[in-house]
Amino acid sequence: MSSESTYRRVASKLTFSYEDWTYRKLLVYTIAFTLVIIFLFPLVVAIVTSFKTRTAVTGTLPFVPVFPWQDGFTLAQWGQAFDVLQGGLVNSFLRAIPATTITAVLGSLTAYAITQIDWRGQIAVLLLLVSATFFPTQAAIVPLARFWTVYVPLEDHLGILWGLPLLEPYHGDLIALIISDIAYGIPVVTVLFRGYYQTINQELVEAAKIDGANIFRIYQRIILPISVPMFAVVFIFHFTQVWNSFLFPLIIMSGSGHPAAPATLVLGGLGQSLEGINYGLRMAGALLTALPTVVVFILAGDKFAKGITGGGTA
Amino acid sequence: MANVTLDEVTKIFEDESGEIVAVDDVNIDIKDGEFLVLVGPSGCGKSTTLRMVAGLEKPTRGTISVDGEAVTHLSPQERNVAMVFQSYALYPHMTVRGNMSFGLEEATDLSDEEIHTRVEDAATMLGIDDLLDRKPDELSGGQQQRVALGRAIVREPDAFLLDEPLANLDAKLRSEMRTELQHLQEDLDTTTIYVTHDQTEAMTMSDRIAVLNDGKLQQIGTPLECYHRPNNQFVAGFIGEPSMNFLPVTLEDGRLVGEHFEYPLREETRANLGDQTDLVLGIRPEDIEILDAASGDHEFPGIVDVVEPMGNENTVHVAFEGQDRTESELTATISGMRNVEGAESIGVGIPENAIHIFDGETGESLHNRDLGDVEGDRPLRGAEAA
Repeated sequence: MSSESTYRRVASKLTFSYEDWTYRKLLVYTIAFTLVIIFLFPLVVAIVTSFKTRTAVTGTLPFVPVFPWQDGFTLAQWGQAFDVLQGGLVNSFLRAIPATTITAVLGSLTAYAITQIDWRGQIAVLLLLVSATFFPTQAAIVPLARFWTVYVPLEDHLGILWGLPLLEPYHGDLIALIISDIAYGIPVVTVLFRGYYQTINQELVEAAKIDGANIFRIYQRIILPISVPMFAVVFIFHFTQVWNSFLFPLIIMSGSGHPAAPATLVLGGLGQSLEGINYGLRMAGALLTALPTVVVFILAGDKFAKGITGGGTA
Repeated sequence: MANVTLDEVTKIFEDESGEIVAVDDVNIDIKDGEFLVLVGPSGCGKSTTLRMVAGLEKPTRGTISVDGEAVTHLSPQERNVAMVFQSYALYPHMTVRGNMSFGLEEATDLSDEEIHTRVEDAATMLGIDDLLDRKPDELSGGQQQRVALGRAIVREPDAFLLDEPLANLDAKLRSEMRTELQHLQEDLDTTTIYVTHDQTEAMTMSDRIAVLNDGKLQQIGTPLECYHRPNNQFVAGFIGEPSMNFLPVTLEDGRLVGEHFEYPLREETRANLGDQTDLVLGIRPEDIEILDAASGDHEFPGIVDVVEPMGNENTVHVAFEGQDRTESELTATISGMRNVEGAESIGVGIPENAIHIFDGETGESLHNRDLGDVEGDRPLRGAEAA
């Protein structure tokens, strides 16, 4: 009899834990799906709206899609957005690619100097860099605007360059923007690289020293090649940052009409007219502008994951 | 090839809690082509000493010279030494060939062709010539170890510095590599400094052993010198496996009096002890005789605690009579063919010509064993009485 009651007790426990497990699962899935819906909802609305005509936007619910065979479907807004943003997208690439590359290289070099080489004052430099990562962008806008317009007007200083083919005086503002992006990006990128370099087996650098390599050769032949996953992380991170940034172009360039304005700035004026706001056009423009960051993420995604998890460290 | 000299080398690390003396006034003279093993427990300063020879650490005081030329303030790049690290430190993004040629590309002006030949030769010598195009992560631990050695060999350096190179290998591979490293060093005849905490490696591989403890050099000598004529209790206890037995005793009327035994001494042994009465009696496990019963002056009744059979020999833990069995003080090794059981009453023989006596306070050796009973007519290599 006692064995029977034991059996029952065990059985009831097993059943209970089984039910418990399914409730848990149900809860987890409910929360997960809720989060997915919350996060994807705006994106879905944006995509759906970008294919609607102006009348369809006002006539239908925002999240109800209009299919190609239905009234109110249009591709014209994508075409129009592309026409308007074309120049801005080119400017954005001209800005983001050098800004990201140079920031990554400088950040990696700085982190290398801070982690692998002993020199006086490196703690102070590190502290400065760390505190700079907390520096709010908004606090920099006035000094930055004055710096580029009053003290260092690149358009005047680089006068000789504008004679070259493909370069125009208004590119001075683009260069100013790139330099600002680099300056603003170096601290956080350095801190990222520093974390990575601290996990590198110290004996690797020592072995290279004994093998006769000087500090530059060690960087070039050892550190740089094994930093590839971290470069992917930094590239994605900073590319997105620079591509999406609005404040710096806004204060360095006069407005969306500036010939060197990046896409984010041009986007601000898109779809606004006397007849009101063309939401479909604005959505198409926004999605178009967001596309390159998604592409970058897809291209460097596997390296990114490797860098995030710290894989590839020797 | 060169001789390496460490002259009063001291390394002090400073941190928030104060100064840590890692290496304290070490003098070592390593002859050209010699295989010197630096051995000691972890934290004894052996790796720091090696790193100072490599140039990775700057000595706080003292001079390191290679072939009579001071290199103390030269950077690692400017010294012609090669080092093998415990982690091997292979460059993960380079092939085996890339790893082995890196040093030659950076440190020498050799042509690509010469580098190629040297790498091929070294790889053939180490039996890794078919792995040259692989990356380190495609290699086993033993293969990585060989690549690390190959990287050192191609440099043809003044000295090889090896920092626990066998520590990450499994036991069987380790003993194979031990023999192979010895052959290699004999063939190349390059001055080698080898750091290990493993006294077996130190005993089996070296021409001379330097025993370090707490940053201080305890003894430098041939393996058998350190084994049979230790300078102090530390060396006696560190070299040899199982360790030497130590029994605290006092000298009373020409006898050593321990807690459970009294040990009469010969006149000539006593003469070595001076006025010191607080002493430690040392005896190697293999010198202890396990007898059926105690009869002589130097034999004592005892009880077997535990027997650890090793096959070729048995390690027997023995307690003196009147002592709790589990507090056994003596470890003896006897032939594997002899049968002794736990709890058995036996006699323990401690022959006087095999005993060591140490100063109880300083640990300094006052009397070392006789070597008169060496088998054959040749003296033990390097262990002649000083």
